[in-house]
Formats: sequence, C-alpha cells, structure tokens
Amino acid sequence: MRMRDLVREALRALEANRGRSFLTILGIVIGIAAVIAMTSFIGGVQEGLVGQLGLNAARIARIGYSSGFTESDIKRLKLALPEYEAIEGSMDSYTELKKDDKTLNISISGGSPTYFEMTGQAAVLSGRMFTAAEDEAASRVVLLDQNGVNQLFGSPDFDAVGKTVKLKGRDYTVLGIYQGTQMSMGSGTYLQVLMPLQTVKRDFANGGNRIFDLTGLAREGVDINELAKRTTEKIATMKRVPEDEVESSVWVFTMKQAIDQMNQFMGSFSLIISSVAGISLLVGGIGIMNMMLTNVTERIREIGVRRALGATRRDITLQFLAESAVICVAGGIIGTVFGYIISGGLALGASSLGISQGFGGGENFSISPAINVETILLAVGISMAIGLLFGFYPARRAARLDPVECLRYQ
Amino acid sequence: MEILSVEHLTRVFGSGEGTVRALDDVSLSIEAGEFIAIVGSSGSGKSTLLHLMGGVDRPTSGTVRLMGEDIYRRTDEQLAIFRRREVGLIYQFNNLIPILSARENITLPALLDGRAVNENRLAELADALGLDGRMNHLPSQLSGGQQQRVAIARALMNAPAVILADEPTGNLDSRNSAEVMGLLRESSERFKQTLVVITHDEDIALMADRVIAIEDGRVASDARRT
Repeated sequence: MRMRDLVREALRALEANRGRSFLTILGIVIGIAAVIAMTSFIGGVQEGLVGQLGLNAARIARIGYSSGFTESDIKRLKLALPEYEAIEGSMDSYTELKKDDKTLNISISGGSPTYFEMTGQAAVLSGRMFTAAEDEAASRVVLLDQNGVNQLFGSPDFDAVGKTVKLKGRDYTVLGIYQGTQMSMGSGTYLQVLMPLQTVKRDFANGGNRIFDLTGLAREGVDINELAKRTTEKIATMKRVPEDEVESSVWVFTMKQAIDQMNQFMGSFSLIISSVAGISLLVGGIGIMNMMLTNVTERIREIGVRRALGATRRDITLQFLAESAVICVAGGIIGTVFGYIISGGLALGASSLGISQGFGGGENFSISPAINVETILLAVGISMAIGLLFGFYPARRAARLDPVECLRYQ
Repeated sequence: MEILSVEHLTRVFGSGEGTVRALDDVSLSIEAGEFIAIVGSSGSGKSTLLHLMGGVDRPTSGTVRLMGEDIYRRTDEQLAIFRRREVGLIYQFNNLIPILSARENITLPALLDGRAVNENRLAELADALGLDGRMNHLPSQLSGGQQQRVAIARALMNAPAVILADEPTGNLDSRNSAEVMGLLRESSERFKQTLVVITHDEDIALMADRVIAIEDGRVASDARRT
C-alpha cells in the first residue's frame, strides 16, 4: 500500500475514535511541550544574551588589581599584550543629589567613549556621546537615561540636551540621552549617569588617581581564556606580586567564562526538564501501546477481512504502525504549539519580573522564545519514533493473528 | 474446462484431545463458469472448505489447484497477492472496513497492490449494482443490502476467475436476498466467472447448477441440476 493511502487510512481510524485518541496523546503533548518550552526558552535566553552583550561579549576581559593601575601601567599592558585591540579603564562613583524633598542616589559610570562602545552602553537616543578629546580634557559633561531625565526634569520626554545638572556644587552639561537599564528604569530615586573617565577621576575619586577596573577587547580569533591567563601573569610580573598572592590580588574575568557558566546552569536546567519530558513521553508511549492493543482487539474482524482480501502481514503491521506514528506526530505538533505558548509565557514572566537579569542580562534584556525549524523537526521526529517504538508490539500482534480465527470473531 | 480442483483436502484444527477434523479427505472438481451451492449443517466444514479454496488458510494435507497450479506451493506473501488478484471473497456480515467509504472498500485490493484504480470498471460496477450516489458513504450509512452489494462489487472489481461467497445473503431479508443473489448470478454470467456460494437458503441452492452437501467434513452428496 502506498504511504499516502496508509496515512489517510490511519487518520480515518483515529478520527473514528476521536475522544480516545485525544486522551491517549496527552502524555506525548505534555512531553513534547516540555521539550519545546525548554529549548525555545533557553534558546531565547542565549539569543537575548548575545544580542544584549553584543557580538563582542565573548572577546571582553574584565581586568582588576587590588592596588589599582596607573596610566603608565595601562600603557605598558597595552604594549606587552598586543592581542588586545583595546584596554580601557573605567571608574564607578556615587553621589547624592537633593531634588525638592527627595534624595536622588546617583551612580556615576566613568569611561572613555571606546569603553562604552566596547561594553555596549553607547546607544544614544538623542544628543551625542562625549568625544575622546572631551575625555582627555575632563570636560564636565554627562549622559542621562530617560529615568534620569524624568527624575531631574520632571518628565521622561523633556528635552534635557544642553541643560545642566548640579553635582557636588559643580555644573555638568547634559550631552545626550542614552538607552538606560531596566534596573534604573524600574526604580524611582536611583539614577545611573555616564561621564568621561578623566572627569570622574578628577571630580569624584577623592584625590585617588588609580584605576581599579580595566576592560580589554581581544582581537578577533584570539583565545580569550588563554589571553586572560597571560594577562594575569603579566600583571603579576609587572607589579611584582608574590606568587602566593596572585590569586587574591589579580583577577581577569572573561565574558566567555560567564557565558560558559550560564551554559552550565542552562545544562542543569535542561537536564531537569528533559527528565520530566522523558518520563512524560515514556508514560505517553505506554498509553499509545495500550490504545493500540485495544484497537487491535476491537478490530479483529477487520484484520481478518483485510487478510482475506489480500493484505500481507507486513501490510497489517504497517497499517497499525502508521496509526500509532500519526497519532504521536499529531501529539507532537499539538505539543510543539503548547510548548511555544508556555515558552512565551515563561519569557514574559522572566522579563517582567526582572528574572532575566539573573541570567546575566543587563541593560534592556528581554527574552523572546527562539523558534527554529530544527527544534520542530526534532519534536516531530521524537514523537514519530515513540509512535513506531510503542506501536510496534501491537502492530506485530495484529499481523500475527490467524486470518481464519479473525474471520470467525464476531 | 476445469478451473478449480480440490484433492484429498484435509484440515485439522488443534492438537491432542481438542483435535477437530474440519475437513476430511475432500476431493472435487469445478468447471469454469459453474454456479455451485455448498450446503450443510453448522460446523460441517463448509466455511473451512471455502477458506481453503480462497487461499485464506493452509490445509493440513491435500491440494487446491486453480487452473492446474497448486496454490499452497506459494509463500504467504504470494498467497496474499493471489487473494487480491485471482479470487473474490464475500462474507455474510461485517464484510466491509467500517472506516472506509464504499468506494475505498471496493478499491481496497487495488490499493493493497499499490495499483491505480480502474475507474471505468468501478463506474460500471457501481452502475450495475445500483451503488451510484452511495460511493462516498461509510458502511454505517448503508443498508444491509447495500453493504452486501458493496462487498460484491469489491469481489468483482479485479474480475477474478472465481467468486467465493460464504452465506452472502445470510443477514438479509428475502427481498434483498433475492436481489443480491440475482446480481451475483448476473455479473458472474456476464463476466464468465465461477461462483461458489455457501448457503442455508434452499431457494439459492435451487438457483445453482450444482449442489454439494458437506457433512462432518466430507462430501455427502454432489448433484448437478439437470
């Protein structure tokens, strides 16, 4: 019998027992939904992270030393490690600002334009980013996010570019509005502003001239973890750090490690969901086998008629296998749809609760479930395999029935 | 011309104390185009004989020859193909696959063969058997008489040389019975087919060219109408 005819007959047989067929495929639906929800949610988180951190994420190394770096240290590091395309310092500071009856907590992020570019914070909605020259000159300029504009000027849509903000008694000109973080957007009195590194050093570093945080961008194709190791060694030699203190006073942290850690976490998460899916699919498969055995018993007379009309044992096997495969694939398709709906719900929940931050996401990190053809094919493949595996025994049993006995059956 | 012959056919079911000798050394010869009625009480071995002549079962001993060839020398697979192409089988009831339409039931042997359906033949049979307009109905949407006509159409579809029917009118009232038998007779004459019918119905037996009575697995009588 041709495949087309087999599938058509299988669909008819299942349609004749709609209620039973639907209940039987629930296990498959749940199992496949779990697989799809998991893979598309994890895929969404990973895609979101890559989108969020930028394509540079895997090339970034965060470099620190407990006593800090001088400008000349940074220059020497750049010379010693040409595998870095750039090494940029950054400095965070904190101040408060009284506005009406509120105290605004202001977190200042100081860096060069290249630093903000490298770390993906340079997206400016209006106005502009400060220039390298303005950084060198320690110009009193600042970039706010929309929350900052709202807190300082009373409306998020206020055209703040060109206005001034008074911090510690000094005036800073607002150069631009940058795309803010979810964290800063979500809370009222917390503001994050961007400033040139030299300005932060001069105005907010309490006289200290040392940089504690460096960010390196490795050149394309460089093994970032290997480079991180060499960077640690270089700093230890340069600063004459005793061997037993290297681990506690020098640190080089790569985003690749962070991504690996996240993948590890996602791996454990996948394992748990896979177990749920596996058990559900196993139970579903047993359900299919049970239903098919009942079908065989109910259709003994039909099997006899088919055999008498010239169906071979193989034809009967294929007929029942087609039925169990078709029902499982139907379950797989329904499960795939449910899986994407669940995954969408999970992503929405994770994004709105800010849980996505916990996955390593920072600014504007939102998860949209990843839908890909491979996953759908995998789901359909798994369900078909279950159908064939658990349908085989009932199908063989039907095929082995004696046609004469079947024809006597009433 | 002899078309079908049965020689020393024996079929034993079970083993030990539960052994049943359903057919016991039966021999007979059937001419092409003959209409034969097989009669006998329940459990006499009529259906076993019919199954053996149709290649549905395998004999314990003896041979069944169709046009001189011993059909049981074939493998199971070859025997299945034989049933599809060379004989037409009709049963008393539940003859049809409930999930398939009348058309699909009629064309099932062709579908099993993976062959294209002979639409002209199908239309001719639908017309001859009064099934026009019923071809897309499921068996449950057809009357008992119509269901049997679908089964007849299916048996005739491949134009087999031999039609074997096991009480084809057993489930029908006398009017439908006469109609179904009339159609069977008419088409077998038209297509020059040999018709072997198991029946309890005296009227049908009277229509036959030859009546073979089976008792306790043996041929008790074999009478030709003169």
